[in-house]
Amino acid sequence: MKRLFLLFFFLNVVLAVNAQKYMTKNGYIGFFSHTPLEDIRGDNNQVAGILDISTGELVFQALIKSFHFDRALLEEHFNENYMESDKFPKSSFRGKITNLSLVDFSKNGAYNVMVEGDLTIHDVTNKISTKGTIEIVAGGINASSKFDIVPEDYKIDIPGVVRDKISKAMEVTVTMKYAPVANK
Amino acid sequence: MKTYVKIALSVVLFIAVSAILAALMLYNKKHADTAKAKPDFIVTATSLQKEFEDNEATASARYVNKILEVTGIIAVVTPLANNHLNLSLKTGNEMSNVICAFPAIADPSKLKTGEEVTLRGECSGFLMDVLLKNCAIIRNKK
Repeated sequence: MKRLFLLFFFLNVVLAVNAQKYMTKNGYIGFFSHTPLEDIRGDNNQVAGILDISTGELVFQALIKSFHFDRALLEEHFNENYMESDKFPKSSFRGKITNLSLVDFSKNGAYNVMVEGDLTIHDVTNKISTKGTIEIVAGGINASSKFDIVPEDYKIDIPGVVRDKISKAMEVTVTMKYAPVANK
Repeated sequence: MKTYVKIALSVVLFIAVSAILAALMLYNKKHADTAKAKPDFIVTATSLQKEFEDNEATASARYVNKILEVTGIIAVVTPLANNHLNLSLKTGNEMSNVICAFPAIADPSKLKTGEEVTLRGECSGFLMDVLLKNCAIIRNKK
């Protein structure tokens, strides 16, 4: 029995080490914009993300309605007036780490990476490239990035009166804590 | 004539004050209190997930933006930054849960994997899982 347990344990370790795909369903994407009146921030802790460490491919998916604002009115305006989330409920990113060879996935540590890919918001897709950090930790991989997007690039109309008051670009923060996907 | 002016002035003042109050109330409007709100639908995590998996469009039209009361077995408790918390409920499909986002929660240690829980939240839609937001625990016992 003990032997069987040990065998099972080693099998698990081997599988974990060999895991090529890492996943989370509790990833974070937030955005922030400063206005003279108040700071606007939306937080989404229900982002699904997959990272394939053999190819460096990254995929994120989020529901627009999952963004949380402290003020209910902001959340309503965000969904109804700007993002039209009933029409365009999902946002996604599909891309790649372009300097994957610099990352040693077998050793704990932090690495600066470059990421390139297609970001789809409000049914408009744009190519983006940004810097990010990959951190190999016990039991998983943490990834984070920060970049700016301009709402007009995604055909998000903000009325002039409001537009003048908020900064041209919104700061987007991404934080993922991936866990290995068990091989099938 | 003087009383006439007085009445006119007080009417204008009354309208102005009401408008400011209404605007302030709207500005400070709170999120729906799901702990007290009457649910639009009462479902199990298993049947809710199945409806979305079978036909996402139909299920979305039915449930999105509605307040759901969901009962299920806790699969994972994920503590998040700023005292927020995600709770995953098991369904018939191992790869797809019902994930419920909670704003700051009083006593997360009461929530344990494997226990049955009933909660209320607003449905945001379906990604790989059914997502609820602004959740509140209703019952946390067998």
